[in-house]
Amino acid sequence: MAEENAPQQQSHGPSSGGMRSSGPGGGPGGPGGGRPGGPAKRGKRNFVRKKKVCRFCVDKADFIDYKKAEILAPFIQERGKILPRRMTGTCSRHQRWLTVAIKRAQNIALLPFAAEL
Amino acid sequence: MEERLYDLIFILRPDTPEADIDKVISTLEHAATEKGGKIDSVNKWGRKRMAYRVQKLREGYFVYMVIRSSHGEVVKELERRLKVSDPVIKYLTVRLDEELKRQEKLKRHRERRAARRPRKTVAPAPAMAGAEQAAAPTA
Repeated sequence: MAEENAPQQQSHGPSSGGMRSSGPGGGPGGPGGGRPGGPAKRGKRNFVRKKKVCRFCVDKADFIDYKKAEILAPFIQERGKILPRRMTGTCSRHQRWLTVAIKRAQNIALLPFAAEL
Repeated sequence: MEERLYDLIFILRPDTPEADIDKVISTLEHAATEKGGKIDSVNKWGRKRMAYRVQKLREGYFVYMVIRSSHGEVVKELERRLKVSDPVIKYLTVRLDEELKRQEKLKRHRERRAARRPRKTVAPAPAMAGAEQAAAPTA
């Protein structure tokens, strides 16, 4: 999400100015750029974001073991959902393997399908 | 048909006596060899807490084994036995050889790449920072 935001804001900058002068027609395209609080918010958000790296790529993992529940655990939510890539920074290949591993672990009761209440 | 490798994990009731656990394992071993398979290793993980309740039990005795066989009959027979066996509450068989093959392939690929050229480090971070700074004056 973070990476997507930056370019969007860049494009909004000039377009929002143009819409303000034209008045009507800013309705559909407006919500992001036309907002008065926009520039201030962008200023606040302007810090350098640390790029997330795939943990499995760092470890050069060729195989994700479904039997090691402790390495899979950080990639599920408390309620048992699998975390999306945009949260964890996992690369697409490893996310695919990870999903399979988590689902296998769930089948043999090493990981929960859903947290118990 | 080439030989295949499987993982087999099963969970027994936590109150199963040690003797019964060994009995279950030995019957499985017997059944596997009878059908032409081979059990490579048996690993008792022991009593563990399960992630969710199974048959109203929160704990289970986990046993993990690796099976080698050249036809699926072995797995079929083992799963049938696990299903009818009373102390077994859950089991899972996973075919491993294809993943191992992929693992080997990737490993070889990486080694070859490493041998061909020295590793170069790519730094995309500065480029990103530059873009953001360029955007700042327009604000």
